[in-house]
Amino acid sequence: MVGGFSILLWVGAFLCWIAYGIQYSSDKSASLNNVYLGSVLVLVVILTGIFAYYQEAKSTNIMSSFNKMIPQQALVIRDSEKKTIPAEQLVVGDIVEVKGGDQIPADIRVLSSQGCRVDNSSLTGESEPQPRSSEFTHENPLETKNICFYSTTCLEGTVTGMVINTGDRTIIGHIASLASGVGNEKTPIAIEIEHFVHIVAGVAVSIGILFFIIAVSLKYRVLDSVIFLIGIIVANVPEGLLATVTVTLSLTAKRMAKKNCLVKSPEAVETLGSTSIICSDKTGTLTQNRMTVAHLWFDNQIFVADTSEDHSNQVFDQSSSTWASLSKIITLCNRAEFKPGQENVPIMKKAVIGDASETALLKFSEVILGDVMEIRKRNRKVVEIPFNSTNKFQLSIHETDDPHDKRFLMVMKGAPERILEKCSTIMINGEEHPLDKSTAKAFHTAYMELGGLGERVLGFCHLYLPADEFPETYSFDIDAMNFPTSNLCFVGLLSMIDPPRSTVPDAVTKCRSAGIKVIMVTGDHPITAKAIAKSVGIISANSETVEDIAHRLNIPVEQVHQRDAKAAVVTGMELKDMSSEQLDEILANYQEIVFARTSPQQKLIIVEGCQRQDAVVAVTGDGVNDSPALKKADIGIAMGIAGSDAAKNAADMVLLDDNFASIVTGVEEGRLIFDNLKKTIAYTLTKNIAELCPFLIYIIAGLPLPIGTITILFIDLGTDIIPSIALAYEKAESDIMNRKPRHKKKDRLVNEQLAVYSYLHIGLMQALGAFLLYFTVYAQEGFLPHTLINLRVEWESDNVNDLEDHYGQEWTRYQREYLEWTGYTAFFVGILVQQIADLIIRKTRRNSIFQQGLFRNKVIWVGIASQIVIGLILSYGLGSITALNFTMLRAQYWFVAVPHAILIWVYDEVRKLFIRLYPGSWWDKNMYY
Amino acid sequence: MAALQEKKSCSQRMEEFQRYCWNPDTGQMLGRTLSRWVWISLYYVAFYVVMTGLFALCLYVLMQTVDPYTPDYQDQLRSPGVTLRPDVYGDKGLEIVYNVSDNRSWADLTRTLRTFYSPAAQEDSINCASGQYFFQERFLAPNHTKFSCKFLAAMLQNCSGLADPDFGFEEGKPCFIIKMNRIVKFLPSNGSAPRVDCAFLDQPHELGQPLQVAYYPPNGTFSLHYFPYYGKKAQPHYSNPLVAAKLLNVPRNAQVAIVCKVLAEHVTFDNPHDPYEGKVEFKLKIEK
Repeated sequence: MVGGFSILLWVGAFLCWIAYGIQYSSDKSASLNNVYLGSVLVLVVILTGIFAYYQEAKSTNIMSSFNKMIPQQALVIRDSEKKTIPAEQLVVGDIVEVKGGDQIPADIRVLSSQGCRVDNSSLTGESEPQPRSSEFTHENPLETKNICFYSTTCLEGTVTGMVINTGDRTIIGHIASLASGVGNEKTPIAIEIEHFVHIVAGVAVSIGILFFIIAVSLKYRVLDSVIFLIGIIVANVPEGLLATVTVTLSLTAKRMAKKNCLVKSPEAVETLGSTSIICSDKTGTLTQNRMTVAHLWFDNQIFVADTSEDHSNQVFDQSSSTWASLSKIITLCNRAEFKPGQENVPIMKKAVIGDASETALLKFSEVILGDVMEIRKRNRKVVEIPFNSTNKFQLSIHETDDPHDKRFLMVMKGAPERILEKCSTIMINGEEHPLDKSTAKAFHTAYMELGGLGERVLGFCHLYLPADEFPETYSFDIDAMNFPTSNLCFVGLLSMIDPPRSTVPDAVTKCRSAGIKVIMVTGDHPITAKAIAKSVGIISANSETVEDIAHRLNIPVEQVHQRDAKAAVVTGMELKDMSSEQLDEILANYQEIVFARTSPQQKLIIVEGCQRQDAVVAVTGDGVNDSPALKKADIGIAMGIAGSDAAKNAADMVLLDDNFASIVTGVEEGRLIFDNLKKTIAYTLTKNIAELCPFLIYIIAGLPLPIGTITILFIDLGTDIIPSIALAYEKAESDIMNRKPRHKKKDRLVNEQLAVYSYLHIGLMQALGAFLLYFTVYAQEGFLPHTLINLRVEWESDNVNDLEDHYGQEWTRYQREYLEWTGYTAFFVGILVQQIADLIIRKTRRNSIFQQGLFRNKVIWVGIASQIVIGLILSYGLGSITALNFTMLRAQYWFVAVPHAILIWVYDEVRKLFIRLYPGSWWDKNMYY
Repeated sequence: MAALQEKKSCSQRMEEFQRYCWNPDTGQMLGRTLSRWVWISLYYVAFYVVMTGLFALCLYVLMQTVDPYTPDYQDQLRSPGVTLRPDVYGDKGLEIVYNVSDNRSWADLTRTLRTFYSPAAQEDSINCASGQYFFQERFLAPNHTKFSCKFLAAMLQNCSGLADPDFGFEEGKPCFIIKMNRIVKFLPSNGSAPRVDCAFLDQPHELGQPLQVAYYPPNGTFSLHYFPYYGKKAQPHYSNPLVAAKLLNVPRNAQVAIVCKVLAEHVTFDNPHDPYEGKVEFKLKIEK
């Protein structure tokens, strides 16, 4: 309510009141018009202010709905009694008990624990569950095992601990306050709007002062000159524009919310559009965030499994009997189960009890074989040894489903090299072959290849226990291991990966063609990171890293020419030792960069590095400790599903589906809105000249005032509002994702061409059209154009009640005033009619309207209809309210400016035609905005 | 969101501005080289010449379509305005104050009246006495015009300034001239001549008697043969009919408000917005 145009309007309002004050002091009966006008101006300022605030508040509300958390409860021992109290009532020294599934209510030091594991991923980015015990292991509180942190989750076991920090003093609280410490500065669109306001204000003030001086030197009274100044300011300031921009941005924000991008502040929409670097997380954003079987190796062959989201298309050869055995092992040697009550849920969406790999295997076999539970029932499990980190295998013994086969089947899976050690034969095409050197080599090749893809590989083997040694009544003992665990038959390998989302490669390609650099920042192992980067196209198929080149040429890494490599994989360890210059060099020189094994703190360093390159940086993140980086980024994007509340708070945008592809949609929308804002502003600026010229002509040539300030306000805040919003619905002219992101310092929203074309070309044509209508109305009532020149003083004098017109008729002051209002209405209609043409030509900046389609954007027609309806209401409905200065206008006058409107359209089509015909020419440079 | 704008020092800005004004490397002035400036100026000159031409053409067409004799519309001129001479305006409308014994205080007023009377050349006008509307379908007068009826100051008799050059101001019975605004082809009534009627706006109680007025021409009528008016081009020598009202019993040393209405069927005087439509109100104070 104070910045930009508002100041100009405040000045206008105060000038109005001062003018009235002066009039009043000399003449007690001075008309109240100036007071009304001043009040209207203030009202405009206040209304637009309230409106902007309301829009802002509305989007903030969307966000705050995220923050609603269920009040957290804590089980505390006080006065030797266990009590449940709200977590915020905890104090340092309280003893609390936490069990699996609970959130840790404060930072606590562990006193005792039973098998406790916590999920610290939101804090440190480590996705593996961390064990917690009372043992002190490290000086650093983040590393030591005996501290559990506020807001992390206890996954299993129980823990009793003493509260050592609460609220803002917790580690999370520190990070959150660090995030809020990072300055919240202007968005690119805010800078653009400020720039635009400067231009318009500059024009308004300089023209205003220039004509003030002219008016004074033409011997006008200072008071009159002040009133002219007000008129010039009002004519020049697009009062409705800021509200329009706000609405336009919020509309886009709404549209983006439908596409799963929830934008916190509307302005961030455009920031996303000007993004030139995206620093993306891997897990969950680029990938599906679930382990999935990607490859199989059996019969000396690698098979590719379908890793798409629904797994529906498994094309590998399932006829081999080796597959039959392998599938049996996969099905049986697996403890994972579907949670009950999900009969109608698609398999891939069913919730599973079990770890990530077993879940992957369960779903994989369920998709291929059908009801896994039924198969397991038929092959009753006799005994099993679950997986543990010392023996690195899992084993179970089953009865077979063949009633004639009384043998037991032992199935085993585990780390491939451990499994192979236990085998003496290998199954090929359903037959057991001795495991010789060549087959072992084949195994190793396959294992290395799959491992090189960054996949987690498991080996599978089985053994049919001879029926004579192990009769049906044999009692197996897992502690005594009274059954063989060697000389088994190796069946196959199976590798799993968290596969990329199917939409991501496409999205990355789109980013690339849109000139956006996608950088992957992940805590994962470099090999996995690189594999995923390759599969989604962050590292393109034909580009190599320094290490790749070294490997290919068989030379040491140091000898590789740095410039030969297009891609780089940088680990957190390397990053730690780098100076910021070195980091800049990497960011500038490599097109494709993957940061692996990075800590979330290093993300901030990377973001700062990117910003030093003058880039607009988008960062995705989900953890609490990502929040400083999210805050630091030009646009922080938090994950809606996986994201922590702190991350969502720090971010400017929330991805509801955690999907990278949604970011690209957002970028597209952001770019579109930038283009469309240009159109809106060009549309709005144009009529300012048509509103300004009357004042200038009035001062210089002394014509009766062609348009009043109130009437101008009715255009700016009445007829023009809906059409300018309608331009926000305009479709893109060309593929906006095929051009570079705009340079935030060079590609301005309002550039010279836009202002010049709007003001000096179309604006001028509009002014002429409106003047023609004005002259027509006056001429047909008796005042021909030449009689109007220098008529102003007599015309406005209350003491002349028999002013002669061209025909010798005599007019009283009121009759003239009424004609003047008719003139206002005519000028208003003239501008209105031509603004329709202006609206249509603004649909495109380069293409012909006919290429774009006149009727594709229906909202434009709603806008045009609204313009006409508001115009009709003002002229015919409110024509009897004298305070508004509108009168009934004869119907034919609505068509006087139509030829001018058509002329505007034709002129603009010619402009666009030359721009298309001669790209890069003088015309293109001067006429394309 | 992070910072996108660096702060520049004032000297840097000045330097940038200077470079914008004159860039020695590229020879650009204000962002364009000289030849570029010439080109763009030529374009604008051509563009504006064409636009001005078009506008002039439009105005020319407009002038061609406008009837030279009669305006196309008279939306605002439904009923004529009425004015008063001498016309001295105060804060709110007409306010006439003079001192009977101080002839300087009314010299201006009488001069106004005298100049108002000094008639334009009426030699082409004819004498009319019909008292009926003087309709003229064709241009029978010299130079393709229509006849106008003469209106001579002498018709105002005592208020003509001929017999009494002071217009009654000295004796405290001043003459006021009531004029009805000209409207092309306006017919004030259906047959009877429009008549001026002056009265106190609020009857002064202390006087207890109505305003006494002597009207010239007798009855205060505008003779119908001055109507209809055919416009300046058809009747270049048209002279307005006038009515003089000699106020006979204006109290001394008190401000009185007087209203003079034109009474005719087609003249209205009840427009709340227009105080001069069909009537004229004025305040008069005669000091002694």
